[in-house]
Amino acid sequence: MGDFFTLSVLVATVASAIRLATPYLLAALGETIGQRSGVLNLGVDGVMLLSAFFSYWTVLETGNLWLAVFVGLVVGLVMGLLYGVITVGLSATQGISGIGIFIFGLGLSDLLFRQLVGTPKPVRRLPKVDIPILSDIPHLGKALFHHSLLTYLAFVLVPVTTLLLSRTIFGLNIRSVGENPQAADSLGVSVERTRFMAILIGNSMAGLAGAALVLQLGIFQPNLTQGLGFIAVALVYFGAWRPIGVMGGALLYGLVNATVLQWKALGIIPVSGSDLANMAPAVLTILALIVVARRVHAPSALTKPFGRH
Amino acid sequence: MKTQWRLSPSILVMLGALAFAGVACGGGDADEPAAPATTAVPAATAAPAATAAPATDSGPLKVAIVAPSASDDLAFSQSMVDSVNALEREVELSITDGTFIVEDAAAAIRGYAEDGNDVVIAHGTQFGASLIEIAPDFPDVTFVWGTASDTQGLDNVFAYAPAADEGGYVNGSIAAALTETGVIGVVGPIEAGDAVAYINGFEAAAIAGGASEVNITYTGSFGDVALAAEAAEAHMANNADVLTGTAQMVVGAVGVAADAGVPWFGTQANQTSLAPDLVVASQVYHWEVILEEILDLRDSGVLGGQAFEINLANGGLVIEFNDAFDLPAGVREAAEAMIEDITNGTIDTTATAAPATDSGPLKVAIVAPSASDDLAFSQSMVDSVNALEREVELSITDGTFIVEDAAAAIRGYAEDGNDVVIAHGTQFGASLIEIAPDFPDVTFVWGTASDTQGLDNVFAYAPAADEGGYVNGSIAAALTETGVIGVVGPIEAGDAVAYINGFEAAAIAGGASEVNITYTGSFGDVALAAEAAEAHMANNADVLTGTAQMVVGAVGVAADAGVPWFGTQANQTSLAPDLVVASQVYHWEVILEEILDLRDSGVLGGQAFEINLANGGLVIEFNDAFDLPAGVREAAEAMIEDITNGTIDTGS
Repeated sequence: MGDFFTLSVLVATVASAIRLATPYLLAALGETIGQRSGVLNLGVDGVMLLSAFFSYWTVLETGNLWLAVFVGLVVGLVMGLLYGVITVGLSATQGISGIGIFIFGLGLSDLLFRQLVGTPKPVRRLPKVDIPILSDIPHLGKALFHHSLLTYLAFVLVPVTTLLLSRTIFGLNIRSVGENPQAADSLGVSVERTRFMAILIGNSMAGLAGAALVLQLGIFQPNLTQGLGFIAVALVYFGAWRPIGVMGGALLYGLVNATVLQWKALGIIPVSGSDLANMAPAVLTILALIVVARRVHAPSALTKPFGRH
Repeated sequence: MKTQWRLSPSILVMLGALAFAGVACGGGDADEPAAPATTAVPAATAAPAATAAPATDSGPLKVAIVAPSASDDLAFSQSMVDSVNALEREVELSITDGTFIVEDAAAAIRGYAEDGNDVVIAHGTQFGASLIEIAPDFPDVTFVWGTASDTQGLDNVFAYAPAADEGGYVNGSIAAALTETGVIGVVGPIEAGDAVAYINGFEAAAIAGGASEVNITYTGSFGDVALAAEAAEAHMANNADVLTGTAQMVVGAVGVAADAGVPWFGTQANQTSLAPDLVVASQVYHWEVILEEILDLRDSGVLGGQAFEINLANGGLVIEFNDAFDLPAGVREAAEAMIEDITNGTIDTTATAAPATDSGPLKVAIVAPSASDDLAFSQSMVDSVNALEREVELSITDGTFIVEDAAAAIRGYAEDGNDVVIAHGTQFGASLIEIAPDFPDVTFVWGTASDTQGLDNVFAYAPAADEGGYVNGSIAAALTETGVIGVVGPIEAGDAVAYINGFEAAAIAGGASEVNITYTGSFGDVALAAEAAEAHMANNADVLTGTAQMVVGAVGVAADAGVPWFGTQANQTSLAPDLVVASQVYHWEVILEEILDLRDSGVLGGQAFEINLANGGLVIEFNDAFDLPAGVREAAEAMIEDITNGTIDTGS
């Protein structure tokens, strides 16, 4: 255990935690916006898979990483459009629609990968960027300020999302249609339009999350996300629908995963205990959900389609 | 003004079609083009076999593969697809991949059988339970299942497995030659199947080759690429400068290794394309070597019932070197020589890591439940280790009757670098199941027990205590005047029961009218044992025996009353020099020598041993100070002879 508490190992663990947390954070922030408006999107994972594939394919074909990020964002936007039409326009049940999007994304990304790529091919990864001055801080600099731009963006989006939701009229509209759409409607807020916009934003961020994941890894494989999108949905509950809470949840999840990996590498968790250790992040999530469920309430109109009476 | 959404039915239909297209296409069914044919399917011959002969078509053989991951995963699934495509005969191949969910795979397997495929390859250990249900429904279909070593008794199932430890061993030896830090990292999926074999072989060779650490992480997933990447990062953060891994998720780890310029060793498929400058070599599975054999058997009417292995010797495993990676001088030649040695059996890669050969004495530790001078169970082991012919450095933790204390001691000794840890207590078994796998280079010796719980680095030992009990019982019958003999037992378990049963049987056969047995429920309660002896004597017992360390209390009571005593486990003469008649003494050194010889040869466990009269592990030590009636000793010695040569069977 002593080996774990050496600076180099701790630095590596924190850095790994932040890397692991990045796609969770991006996806969960987007989902937070959507859920605050009253729309649950269980298709986040499918959106991420599609955006991850297209981002990957873009780098493969063009070599252009930032184009790949943009493509990921656009794919998210397109999927958001689809989801908005289904849930807001057609008032379809959100849970089922979300699962449909997930299956669609899983299947289409797999199909496209086989047809267009085939065998996994490595591509360029997002380079790590040192934040000037901050990255020079001994140890802390390497842990916190030596990451890709998408990672920094993910954390910058936390205060941005917070401000959006709490300090802008649009954010107010989002919250009001999520809490009491009838009242919002009666005050002249377009519930459908607001939700639609929230869905577009949320799915765009899910698209960014997919791009971040694949460009961090430099490779795509069928079902690359391994359920990451669903964890992101859970993190919204964990964070009590607040961006700062979501960030905390994503970091905690990333830290537990990183620590388990590090302990395995050091032999602190023996091979025989590996399976039990693998459960740790999921167990943590469940415990957190239990605790959170007692203390906060979800947006009142979450999952409820809007209809005028 | 509020916006009203109206959608025309045509848009609805389009959206629905899009969704269905995505779901349908994502299932993974894909028909592969027929493999290039070099020879036609051989004409059918008369079928001799017990199972129905396959119908003979003039068309190509219809083969289907059901695989758990993508067929182009550069790992497990791809190895089988490539192999079927490499078959010399013409086949019509269908593939369903990505069926990691067993129910999906089962549906695909059954579907392929229903669709008239001749051969269905269930490429995943987890598909076994499904095959047990499905195969009997299609007796004319040949199912080929792996990785597995047995066919579950099914006549139309062939099984296959790779000797992945062989290639792991070769890769590990090269890795040891490459590492500068001495630290090598391994990224594993779930601790099962060929992954474990590969990693064990790799680790054994790497350590033998001089690596100081081989750190292994099982991520718990076959497919989580991000986790594999982070696991690789963690290894490199811990100074690993060479990496390997297995399963399809390693593409993440390879990417990380490539970015860091760290060499990589692959398995299952050739992974050079993932990092053309840094993949050193890959152990590649060529299943076609056994598939050809299976299909030939099928042609002759044998539809299943045999298990196959691909290995270096039969060409089913091939180490494919990356010529773009510059190996140091001599390393490749050494690896190729090693492949030759594995192929001809000179090197056995199935043993776990060979013990490091030190010039110093063997470090042995004993963890015992009672005092090491208890004149019973624990002392028997301490005396035996001290009686070993070889030099050992012995450490002892005794009095660990509480299992948790013992477990901590066992683990501590293993961590401290002891070569052999003797867990001298049946009750330590559950702890060993947890501890032993964590220390694959340590030999654990556990008793009394008759099986090693499937652990490769555990030897088990037990005494045939009923044998000595029988001899003692026969002498006791000759001594008793009241015809009543008393037995003080501990807990009704293990060698205590065996001893007491053997004793009782012989005593009754020898003429005793009663053998009263008390199990005190404790190994250590001396007072209770003393009271039990008192109770027996109050019931007219004029000869006593007992087992376990608590008997010192009973012997004392017997000695006070002038009642003869028979001992077991250790020589108890010193407890009552005039009244101990004889003791069955455990000489564990008889099997310990054998165990240590096995260890020297690289076998760290996996066998169970017994001490008995025949092998000298059990010895009846008479107390010459006790005057036995004429002829009793001779009769006893004759009985020992009869037990040794099998004339008398004392097993209860």
